[in-house]
Amino acid sequence: MSTAAGSGAGGGNGGASGGGGGSGTATASAGPLAGIRVIDLTMWFQGPVAGQHLADLGAEVIHLESPKGGDLARGVRSIKALAIGDWNQYFQVINRNKKSMAVDLNTPDGVEIVHRLAEKSDVFLTNLSAKALEKWKVTYDELAWINPRLVYALGSGYGPFGRITKPSFDMTVQALVGLMSRQGEPDEPPIYLGMGSGDAMGGMMAALGIMLALYARESTGRGQCLDASLYGAQTFMAAPTFQAYLATGSERYSRQVSRTDPENPLWNIYRAADRWLFLCVPNEDGPWRTLCDTLEAGRRDTGDAYDAGGAGGTRDAGALAGDARFADPAARRANATALVAELDRVIAARPAAAWTERLTRAGLAASPIVTFKDLAADPQAWENDYLLKTPCEEVDREVTIRGLPVGFSKTPGTVRSLGPQLGQDTELILFETLGYDWDRIGELKAGGTIL
Amino acid sequence: MTPSRPSAAALDGVVVLDLTTRFWGSMAAALLADFGARVILIEEPCRPSPPAELPAAGARWDYVHDLVHRNKKSCVVNRATERGRTVVRELAARVDVVVTDCPEADLAAVGLDYASVAAARSDVVYAVGSGLGPKGPDRDLPALDELAAARTGMMPLLPQPGQPPVYAGHGQMYTAVMLAYAVVVALFHRKRTGEGQRVDASLLGGNMYGASLDLQAYLAIGEDRLLAPVARLDAGNPMSGVLYPSADGLWIALTMPDTDRWWPLLAEVTGLDPADPRFATHDLRCGAHRLELIAALDDAFRRRPAAEWRAAFTERQMSADVIEDYRYPAEDPSARDNRYVLDLEDASLGRLRMLGFPIFMTDTPARLRATAPRRGQHTAEVVRELLGYPERAITEMEREGVLA
Repeated sequence: MSTAAGSGAGGGNGGASGGGGGSGTATASAGPLAGIRVIDLTMWFQGPVAGQHLADLGAEVIHLESPKGGDLARGVRSIKALAIGDWNQYFQVINRNKKSMAVDLNTPDGVEIVHRLAEKSDVFLTNLSAKALEKWKVTYDELAWINPRLVYALGSGYGPFGRITKPSFDMTVQALVGLMSRQGEPDEPPIYLGMGSGDAMGGMMAALGIMLALYARESTGRGQCLDASLYGAQTFMAAPTFQAYLATGSERYSRQVSRTDPENPLWNIYRAADRWLFLCVPNEDGPWRTLCDTLEAGRRDTGDAYDAGGAGGTRDAGALAGDARFADPAARRANATALVAELDRVIAARPAAAWTERLTRAGLAASPIVTFKDLAADPQAWENDYLLKTPCEEVDREVTIRGLPVGFSKTPGTVRSLGPQLGQDTELILFETLGYDWDRIGELKAGGTIL
Repeated sequence: MTPSRPSAAALDGVVVLDLTTRFWGSMAAALLADFGARVILIEEPCRPSPPAELPAAGARWDYVHDLVHRNKKSCVVNRATERGRTVVRELAARVDVVVTDCPEADLAAVGLDYASVAAARSDVVYAVGSGLGPKGPDRDLPALDELAAARTGMMPLLPQPGQPPVYAGHGQMYTAVMLAYAVVVALFHRKRTGEGQRVDASLLGGNMYGASLDLQAYLAIGEDRLLAPVARLDAGNPMSGVLYPSADGLWIALTMPDTDRWWPLLAEVTGLDPADPRFATHDLRCGAHRLELIAALDDAFRRRPAAEWRAAFTERQMSADVIEDYRYPAEDPSARDNRYVLDLEDASLGRLRMLGFPIFMTDTPARLRATAPRRGQHTAEVVRELLGYPERAITEMEREGVLA
């Protein structure tokens, strides 16, 4: 079932830094991107997760880091005021299947190493600032001159024609896009869509852009520069409502709208006896009658295993079908708030799972609104490899990780190792890929250019 | 006559059969069309159940249709007739890619599932978007983003404690990009090896990926605190991820996870004492005195209006900003320069604004070649060019109601 660590038994044994010993990730991998080498000069989330998508599918992704501590995400110690635990899942999951090379780009020797690596690579991926890229002589112009076949991928904050120069993070860009201020009930604070929600979209976009450029290169023989910014990614993420706003200018799409004032009260969330329920019924007369019948049957069924005790006091759900206020789609829309109140009373009487079972049997769509705890036990997540177990060397046990979101029937992705130790592959890449001899490698190490 | 296009499109020469019915499925195919694929939309390839909820009727412009089907060709083929079904099967055997969000059982019934299409064209790339994944007991539930979002566990986490769960509607957009990504990866593999395959992405996979860091934190740490919302004033890092209201009711967002770097600057800007011993180290700021710092910042930000805060953040190049609504990207000149938002002139509707292209490419940029086609606008053209039917046969099928 699980493809985690299906190959290269033992996963990422990161003990290669002592010399020519076998690195856990050095074995040639299969997958549709086998043979593609990626320089991954990224940090935090947006950039690294783009590299993760390519690495999952077999690309040789080299996470290029500073010898002084590396990617800042290695230093994450807590999440939501909770200790991060005994392994750094923030860094390890999005840097899985990668190699790590620790090179000081503030030295001429370090820059030369990256230039030589660019000559032998297919993709250069970064989400660092333009200033840093200039200082380290790894701009598009510089690297394209060295290797015209190189695909140069930026994950910027505000796009190639952006006017904001300050450092960008997921949330500070999500703030501008308008997604946050339309979430939740009126007068509540705006809502951020979750840690890394925009970075995740930026990373997915960058991976798509890289594949488009690699595909085009098969015909043109040339690389190019691309940018999948947080701003572009998050306007795309907002598409369903942002397009509506662009077309209509209506505040209905840009402001907070209460769940008690929905476009369609049948397509809404309701609090069942134990937890919330998502009801997805079109505002049409046939489905409306089926809904009323189903709710009434649920209310009356004394043999029902579930009874919250309050059911007897609720109004007859069957009467809703005959209520003039809700007689047709336009009436249900016009009296949405009243209908939400009626449905709240009926649905509150039984647990969400019981309603879901009945509604689904009646051909209507509904689902309990669950927590991560339920997801962690959901066979849909496991059978489709969206969750995987993989060995974690840091704690010497199996851990559960976000798995492979995209399926391939003939060339599936794999998780071969979690995130690498800082600089674990530096020497081997210098020796095998770039042809440095061991004396020179020793000098670079002694001089602090590499770890 | 099809005018020849300049060759600079990433997916030049790729022909896609679009059997989608949902916003996100059609957007996946639209991404391929934006980057140069010739995408042939078969109108109503199956009956989605339940139908997707569309925005309010009565808009002067069918903006959803124009977004999700831009750059595509439209074919209307009557699937109630054997000849109509044959035409679609013949098209499927001629294209490079099939993209669908229809239930696979419906497609199998008319010979358009992967096995049937691959039997006629072994190197086809066949992309399936589903609700909860191609495997598992609930694989056949409707492919609705709401059901997948409800099942992911993120909705209860988003609001303030005690508030209803939040459905934001963005989960499906990860799925759209994933499906397009899978197609291009598979095309790349096919170009190098000649091998086609079936690829898949789902709304559950998309929503889970969108919940990435919160979900992964729970999987690793397992604490109940990570299952329910954390109150705004109880955040883990007062300088990162907390929202503060300003004097004019607009909100401020801060992301300064590296508090050692930013604290002196933030203290100065907000009028707090940079040398306050309670906030002297990262561990004190995020640990023992975290709640005091949040309260101090909450008080400080209320003292000045949002515009002043933005000016201060810009001047000192701090990673913080004002929380805007959709007016901001709609009016922002740089959103236009980046082509994240497009301005169009329509002969009858006048000036229109449309969501643009999220990826910039120097050599093979996305293009808007055409707004969405009329129903059946390209039926005859596609059947003639791809299947080589003579004009006489096409006219006859039109008369018999097979094509429209």
